[in-house]
Amino acid sequence: MKNQESDSSLVSFEQLPVGYEFPLSSYELSRSVVSKYLEAVGGQQDFLTLGIIPPLAVAACAITALSQSFSVPPGSIHASQDFEFLKLVPIGATISCGGKIAQKLERGRLRLVMLEIHALNQDQERVLAGKATIAIPG
Amino acid sequence: MREVPALNESVKVSDIRQGDSLPSVVKHVTQREINLYAEASGDFNPIHIDEAFAAETPLGGTIAHGMLILAYVSEMMTKAFGKSWLEGGKLSIRFKAPAYPQDTITTTGKIDSIDYKEGVPYVNCSLECCNQKGEVVITGGAVVKLQ
Repeated sequence: MKNQESDSSLVSFEQLPVGYEFPLSSYELSRSVVSKYLEAVGGQQDFLTLGIIPPLAVAACAITALSQSFSVPPGSIHASQDFEFLKLVPIGATISCGGKIAQKLERGRLRLVMLEIHALNQDQERVLAGKATIAIPG
Repeated sequence: MREVPALNESVKVSDIRQGDSLPSVVKHVTQREINLYAEASGDFNPIHIDEAFAAETPLGGTIAHGMLILAYVSEMMTKAFGKSWLEGGKLSIRFKAPAYPQDTITTTGKIDSIDYKEGVPYVNCSLECCNQKGEVVITGGAVVKLQ
């Protein structure tokens, strides 16, 4: 994944308030990235033949793009995900990803951060929307 | 269910019935695939790729990215619904347990109901990923809007 506009000054998620909106971050999903993704997940090679990006590859890169805007402790893991796939994305597309911190919770020793995410294609059409909850060890 | 549709082919409501099982997907997780996934997604969290770091955590070793295992769910949904899933699918899941290298993950699902909103059919599915011990790794649901 090639992040084209990532912010180099990372802040801790603890410094970001609920409602904080991340600046748009763009990434390209090239044929080589999609090929590597499909090899990793043992996925259907038809995606390459038809030139379509698997929707979860778009989602995974969107989450990574947002996560690169702030720092979380190593060992943080995903707790839940909600996604809606709205439009097919062709291989080679540049996707713009945005979102905000929707919620922060503490459960025992775990801290949870819920991110709202959306991804746009080059025509500024929504191709994906969703939520990702990241569990951060205490 | 009928035969697996092509990726660029939509499914019609006449092709499916409530109670149908979705085509299950069985995958063996390896550290090599986890490392490849890290490179493809850009997620280099050490809990996935650094065995020394992961061994010191409560998880006791590296684990697969949750989104890697979730890709198996999407593969099942793609096999069941083709293009209808790729541009009309909604997924809502929880990660219940980690998947480790050498785990075998079986993904299953079924059609719970078919609802109509303004004449458009929406297919509601339940889904689950389990490891070789029968432990649930992912549980959740999906909705597919049929055109």
